[in-house]
Parts: sequence; C-alpha cells; structure tokens
Amino acid sequence: MSNLQQQRLVVEQLRREAAIKRITVRQAVADIMKYVNDHQQDDCLMIGFSSQKANPFREKSSCSVL
Amino acid sequence: MPPKDDPETAKLKQELQALIEQCKGKQKSVADTTLEAATSSVEDIPRIKASTRRMLKGHINKVTSCHYSGDSRHLVSGSLDGKLIVWDTWTGNKIQVIPLRSAWVMCSVFAPSGNYVACGGMDNMCTVYDVNNRDSSGAAKITRELAGYEGFLSTCRFLEDGKIVTGSGDMMITVWDLEAGKKLDQTPAHVGDVCSMSLKVEQNIIVTGSVDRCIKLWDVRTLKCTQTFFGHEADVNSVCFHPSGTAFVSASEDKTARLFDIRSDQQVCVYRPPTANSSLTCCSVSQSGRILLAGSDDSTVHLWDLLKGEHNGNLQGHENRITGLSVADSGLGIATSSWDNAVRVWG
Repeated sequence: MSNLQQQRLVVEQLRREAAIKRITVRQAVADIMKYVNDHQQDDCLMIGFSSQKANPFREKSSCSVL
Repeated sequence: MPPKDDPETAKLKQELQALIEQCKGKQKSVADTTLEAATSSVEDIPRIKASTRRMLKGHINKVTSCHYSGDSRHLVSGSLDGKLIVWDTWTGNKIQVIPLRSAWVMCSVFAPSGNYVACGGMDNMCTVYDVNNRDSSGAAKITRELAGYEGFLSTCRFLEDGKIVTGSGDMMITVWDLEAGKKLDQTPAHVGDVCSMSLKVEQNIIVTGSVDRCIKLWDVRTLKCTQTFFGHEADVNSVCFHPSGTAFVSASEDKTARLFDIRSDQQVCVYRPPTANSSLTCCSVSQSGRILLAGSDDSTVHLWDLLKGEHNGNLQGHENRITGLSVADSGLGIATSSWDNAVRVWG
C-alpha cells in the first residue's frame, strides 16, 4: 500500500472516530459509581469471605462417616 | 531538505491535524468534571487486607503469565522453563503439566469453559491444548498450532471454545477458527507491538494496548477500530475492562495506571504508586470495580481505590517482577505470576 493510500485510510479512520457521540464525564462517572455501589457488598477483596464456607482456601476439616 | 509533499498528501496532513484538534475539542467539551470531584462524596474504603493463600510452586524458571479459567478455580501459568501448568488454586495442586515445544512462552490463557488452554510467544505461534484429552505420550493433546505470525505472540483470548483472537509483535490482531484451523480475519492494529488485550464477550468488543502508547477499541465481529485512546507516555503493557463494561484500566512502562471511559472517549484518572519508580506490567479490577490492581517491576501488586484515585497498599510476597495478574470471575481469588518462578493466589 502506498504512503498516500495509507494516509487516506488514517484520515478516514480519524473522521469516523471524531464523529462518535460522546456523553459527559459526569454521566459516565455516575454510571461507574452506580455499578460499583450495586456490587460492592459482594466483592470478597473488599469485605472478605461472607462465611467460612465461602472461603475456598479454608482448611478442610475431615469428615467422619457415622 | 526533505522533498515537498504533493498537494494531496499535504491536504491530508492538514485534515489529519484538524481532525486531531476536533477530537481533543470534543473530549474537552464533555469533560464537565473530574473523577475525583465526581466521587468526592463517596465513602473512603478501608485498607484492603489480602494475603497469599496459596504458593503455587512448580516452575523452575520465570513465570511470564497466568490466567484463571471461567470456573474461578483452575489457573494456567506459562514459564520460560518451557511448561504450562494447570493448577487447582483451591488445593494448590498441579492438575497437569504441559511441556511446550518452545520455552519462550509469553502468554497463556484459559478458555472460559475450562476445556482448552492456549499459549504462545517468541515461537511466533499460538498453540491450543485440549485439557481433557491426552495424546499417546500422556501430555495434553495439541488441538491446533496456529502459525502465520511475523512477530511474537503477546496476547490472546478465547471468544468461545472454537474461536480465538490474538495480538502480536507484528502489530496485528487476528481471529482464528480453531475447528477449521484457519484465519477468519486479521487487521493491522497499531504502529507498534500489540502487548495486551481484554475482551467483553457480551458486547463483542476488545480493547488492545500497544508499544505505540495508544489503546484501541475494536468490534471483534468486524475487526474495525471504533475508538483510540491517548494518555500514556510509554508502552501500554496491559489493559483490562472494568466490570461495568463502560470503562477500562491500563498499566504502562510510564509507571502509571489509568482509567479510560469509553462513552466520554477519554482518560479520566491517573493512578501513581507513592514512589513511582517502577513500570507497571499488568492490571486488573476487583469484581465490584472498586479496586484497581496493578503488578509492578518492584515485585508487589499495587492497589488503588479506583473511584477516588487513592493508593490503598500493596500485595507483598513475590521476590521479583510481577508478570501477570488474573482476578477470578467469582472475585474469590487473585493470581499473580512472577520472575521469582512462583505463582501466588491472594484473597
């Protein structure tokens, strides 16, 4: 592909990218915050394991068959 | 003196400059606030308490990558010792050791189904192994060896068991049909090595980071670039979608991690470690999207409050550069790979 053809493609791509619809940062951040808020209480990294049963790394106690 | 441009080239160059200014102007016009200002009312979070739950020892050379299976339990790691190891992260046991034809493995990934693993590197190939079937020597059966790259394989992701998308040092992204063993589509993606990619299956989009400092968003069905993001001042080593799907994070040689928002088309936050003197090599986000994690050349994983931009501490334990980071889909574990030959699971 010639330099000129490449240049044309780059400009065409940039025309497409310039034309996209953009929302405000305020709206974008609000949506991210909402998602995080909705999921934060289930995030093990933040709240730890909800119970010992939920902790996959716990020491497994031995079972005895009665 | 360089030769003068012909009239058409000169016109295109002018238009290019004008379009760049137009993009910058449009981004600025929607930047009605900053992330920090918009989240100022959000409560701070306490210091994250996570420690090494499992030390996965087995590799005898630098581990260059790790990736969780969709079951949030099994993990694949690749090492310069020429092996892939499939681990059960809950018990710490090795499920399988897969000897590779080339020791120069740079990426290893699990198909979400857990049925396949793929890897590649300086052999300029992507090899797919069937985790559930062995060949006559007892090693995992090779499903496909995908050749045709003119550069190293740096990153790949399974779109489904039969389809894989790859990023490579020849600056291309390629989609393969694994059943037919054929390329479905390919495109030049960046003007430098493609280093990393992240996939949002539900929305058919991938984001790629490159040595050319840009990050691009692609429709995986057409391999058309829909957006380009600027901001980093050096190689983008890693990119990862935010679970909300409307943003992604990145980690770079420029010692920062950044948050980019897709719909407002711009960078919205820069995260720096307290003493920013090491490259950040890999990044991911916790399950809720509140915590940003980035592995560093300084042997630790840095944690930040993604919403407020504040550093929240480190995961310490590795003794050398962190090369890979994977957060389990369930959020119950974080795996890291390192040049210290170990893989650790944190939680």
